[in-house]
Amino acid sequence: MTRILDPTLADAAGPAALRRAPRPRALRGLTVGLLANGKSNGMALLDGIVERLRERHGIGEVVRAAKTNASAPVSDEDTERLAKRCAVVVTAIGD
Amino acid sequence: MTLPTAARQYRAVGQRSGIDVGDPWEAIEACYARGWTDGLPVVPPTDALVDRMLAAGPWATGDVLLHEPVRDRAVTAEKAAINAVMAGCRPEYFAVVGAALQAIGDPAFMLHGPATSTGGSALMVIVNGPIAGRLDLNAGANLFGPGARANATIGRTLRLVLLNCLDCRPGVLDKSTQGWPGKYSLCFAEDEAQSPWEPLSVSRGVPVGRSAVTVYAAESGHNVLSHGTGDPERLLACFADALAGLGSLSPGRSVVVFAPEHAQHLRRAGWTRPRVQQWLYDHAWRSLADLKRGGKVEPAFYTNPDLVDWLYRDAPGGRPEPPPAPEDADRAAPADEAVRVHRGLGPQDILLTVGGGAAGGHSAFFPSWSRGRSVPFVTKEVPA
Repeated sequence: MTRILDPTLADAAGPAALRRAPRPRALRGLTVGLLANGKSNGMALLDGIVERLRERHGIGEVVRAAKTNASAPVSDEDTERLAKRCAVVVTAIGD
Repeated sequence: MTLPTAARQYRAVGQRSGIDVGDPWEAIEACYARGWTDGLPVVPPTDALVDRMLAAGPWATGDVLLHEPVRDRAVTAEKAAINAVMAGCRPEYFAVVGAALQAIGDPAFMLHGPATSTGGSALMVIVNGPIAGRLDLNAGANLFGPGARANATIGRTLRLVLLNCLDCRPGVLDKSTQGWPGKYSLCFAEDEAQSPWEPLSVSRGVPVGRSAVTVYAAESGHNVLSHGTGDPERLLACFADALAGLGSLSPGRSVVVFAPEHAQHLRRAGWTRPRVQQWLYDHAWRSLADLKRGGKVEPAFYTNPDLVDWLYRDAPGGRPEPPPAPEDADRAAPADEAVRVHRGLGPQDILLTVGGGAAGGHSAFFPSWSRGRSVPFVTKEVPA
């Protein structure tokens, strides 16, 4: 018998203690965050989604954030703003 | 509300985990079954082989060699060593592997883009300094092709790290529309002896005599053929034409690898590296009208000040007033015939190096990944 080692990060490292946030049962009146990933049409796609969310689910306020570069992480300020103000966040890549 | 700061911390490296296998063939198949390969068989990473790899480098087991901030993934020396064993590296290659991982993990390189984008780039690694000779890294005949263990396995390690540690699996997180074979491995040494210029690493600030890697997110290479002239301007005209190809024209970077034969023509003529860079930048352009006819100017470009600056930085009379509107993107106006749109933003965006066999007028141009600026060249010293 020989043991071979796991080359992935499944065992050794990685973001710890990340849990999924509880899912709201309905969207009516809730503040929705939009995060465009930095590609040219991401916000256009999200605008279309917001329109439908308003029609179908009666969502409340909308908070927008956009990465300036698709390769870069979301800024801490935007992450904090979205986390503080929004019940749900929708993100999109739009190329 | 408190943000999950725990996401910035990592669980301590604990017990190594792995799987038990009966024989080498079963080990190779087990790696395939778990999706741990690039499609080629891997060397089974046993404890003994991984220990030997780690012992050859200057890093401790838990040292983070690469942190990818978008997805908050940290690759330790131990995980890098496991993947280096699998790729077929000898332990003495590990210092170069580690330096290359540090280079692609430099925040300026913004690895998330080239690792995942539809553009499908390869991670090019150019090695300079005494370590290239010690490891038998090929800078000569067929340097981009098969045959040299160090070239093949150092480059392959980066790809295995992307696949195994950053989850850049094809069609899942790696969304390459086509990709290209350089994604298996693209590592070579500069032929410093044949170069008319100081080593690439020295031109990028590394002290003379030290070893270094320079990384680049590369699209597939274009062979630039020229056998009929030793005149620098006539020779470089072939390169400028390749750089100005409409399909790959962008505000991004370029790598040009001169074959020794072409490099000798430039040496004899006394052309310096900056002079060649400047000449190529000046001559690698297409008219704005050509770009528009080719559908290369998107309406969204006109709402991005950086891209407007790229399109009009060499326009007669400067940037148009009033500024162009998105609906102008598709319309080639008569004045657009006189607007020269260059590849890149300046001569410093064209990296020049030398490599290849002694015979043949075959050089190469590698466009950068992305239709935008792409990511910068990053150079890191290899620890002695």
